[in-house]
Amino acid sequence: MMLTFQGISKTFVSERGAVPAVRGVDLTVHEGELFVLLGPSGCGKSTVLSLAAGLLKPSSGEIRFDGELVAAPRKKVFVSPRERNVAMVFQSYALYPHLDVFGNIAFPLRVAKVKEESIAAEVARAASMLGIGELLRARPGELSGGQRQRVAIARAIVRKPRLFLLDEPLSNLDAALRAATRTELKRLQRELAVTTLYVTHDQTEAMTLGDRVALMRDGRVLQVGTPRELYESPRTPFAGSFIGPAPMNFLDAGVFEEEGRLHLRIGEEKIALSPGKAGEVRRLATGRVLLGLRPEHVRISGDPGPPALRGIVVSAENLGRERLVSVETAGGILAVLTDGEAPNEGDVVGLALPIETASVFRAEDGE
Amino acid sequence: MREERRIRIFYTVGAAAMSAFCLLPVAYMVLVAASSRPDVLSAEASVRLTARHFLEVLGTGSLHFPEYVVNSILVSGLSAALAVALAAPAAYAITRLELPGRMSFLFLVLAVSMFPPVSLVSYLFRMMSALGWINTYAALVLPYTAWVLPLSLWILTSHFSRIPRDLDRAALLDGCGRLAALRKVMVPVAAPGILSTAILAFIFAFNEFLFALLLTTGRNARTIPVGIALFEGLHGEIPWGMIMAAATLAVVPVVLLVLLFQRGIVAGLTRGAVRE
Repeated sequence: MMLTFQGISKTFVSERGAVPAVRGVDLTVHEGELFVLLGPSGCGKSTVLSLAAGLLKPSSGEIRFDGELVAAPRKKVFVSPRERNVAMVFQSYALYPHLDVFGNIAFPLRVAKVKEESIAAEVARAASMLGIGELLRARPGELSGGQRQRVAIARAIVRKPRLFLLDEPLSNLDAALRAATRTELKRLQRELAVTTLYVTHDQTEAMTLGDRVALMRDGRVLQVGTPRELYESPRTPFAGSFIGPAPMNFLDAGVFEEEGRLHLRIGEEKIALSPGKAGEVRRLATGRVLLGLRPEHVRISGDPGPPALRGIVVSAENLGRERLVSVETAGGILAVLTDGEAPNEGDVVGLALPIETASVFRAEDGE
Repeated sequence: MREERRIRIFYTVGAAAMSAFCLLPVAYMVLVAASSRPDVLSAEASVRLTARHFLEVLGTGSLHFPEYVVNSILVSGLSAALAVALAAPAAYAITRLELPGRMSFLFLVLAVSMFPPVSLVSYLFRMMSALGWINTYAALVLPYTAWVLPLSLWILTSHFSRIPRDLDRAALLDGCGRLAALRKVMVPVAAPGILSTAILAFIFAFNEFLFALLLTTGRNARTIPVGIALFEGLHGEIPWGMIMAAATLAVVPVVLLVLLFQRGIVAGLTRGAVRE
């Protein structure tokens, strides 16, 4: 099923006044796609999910399922959640405590008045897909967090929904279980080929799971793209710092022209730009840019050739496989992710700057 | 260590004093009911225990005590059931729907329940007379329901608001309408709260005296409190033994009810619904 959001806004009205949660969101989720809504808490991503589910009515805009309107306040259209055939996995799992695991998974089928014989078969199928066939007689209170999670997913997939909604489904699991469940969710989604909207604040989840990712902030969608597009060409400094294993470094740089070539000035350092980068900088039409450098792309070397910066190591943290080194330079403190030998605190090092893979932003956008 | 002991002693003494204060009248009631000479309230008089008063209360046809017990249980039970059945959807609406002025509505309900029953009773009497309902269950059940409804609504609202919202959201997505979500999810999950609310409503109705006195004229609908108050001795004396025996017996249904459901009331059912 294809899901489209067109100019969707949602404003909550409370005693303290109107609070806009979602402001003018346009989205298209394609058939069978796993689409991730990524953003910090309070960015409106869960509100978008509730709007798709029909738990909330949009204040304006139109939502369509396969082209068919399901919510449009201006046209007074609103299809209730029970008629939308969407399934949701809640962050809190929201299992029915008075029913056992079988009763929980069977609940949507019983509400839909499916025959008891086929209910038993369907529940067994969903339970075996998630490996909880042994737990059917247990109560939610007797299950571990990971098991509850599986029951919640089984309940969601048992009746073949048109749209599958997941609200931070992994955030209550411990790290090891989270990684395993993540892989399994991806497999399950491929197997079922259900259009899926997945909400998370964890960029690793978004990058590993999503076919496409929408980055949200303050109720707006900042950028939509494949995980790779978001990683390689963030459109805003926020996107750069939110996505990636470590936040992007930002260097203030002046733009000037010398001998017909565009240059950047960082502190005392002058850096000539390749024609490709120069075009990119020119398009920004500004005299000051913010240079975004990924910590994993900056290299430490004793005597790097240009373009490079010198700096003093202020700290070095061991992250296991890699080391996160902070270096104070003329342009500010730069974080460097390196899998080589880390220098000691106080060492003077040279940093090779990956200008070609760097992102450039307007300096004004950095605020 | 000494501090802890002192606190424990204070605690024990305090609890004992409180219990004694509350239970002494009850003990006195039981004692008089079982005493062979209930009308002599003297410490010197030797007291022999007897079951005579209990047997009299239950066995004397002209007292109609067993009928009063049945009336009381039916009237209170119906009132409690009706009040809870009305309060549950209302509490669901107040806690789950985006209704404007929810809180004002709750306070309005509270304000209505502040009117002293005395101010209503003459009007109620005229209304019930006009309807020809005097001395029927309906004459008591309707006012009792109205009387315990605000209390039930307040208690249920607090119970419902403690149930995670995701639970009825899940029910809505699983294909339930609002009423089905209430019936299939909220009510079973809130069952302990609903049960304790119903028991409270039952006890309120069970103890009510004024309405019952004015709206019943005979044994058809008369309840225990009125029935006991109207006990008369053979020669106009106050039959203390029988009054106390009847009062003791009247405690039994309520105590049984609470004992029976105590476990269900105490044990929360929401365990495991959502992450704690």
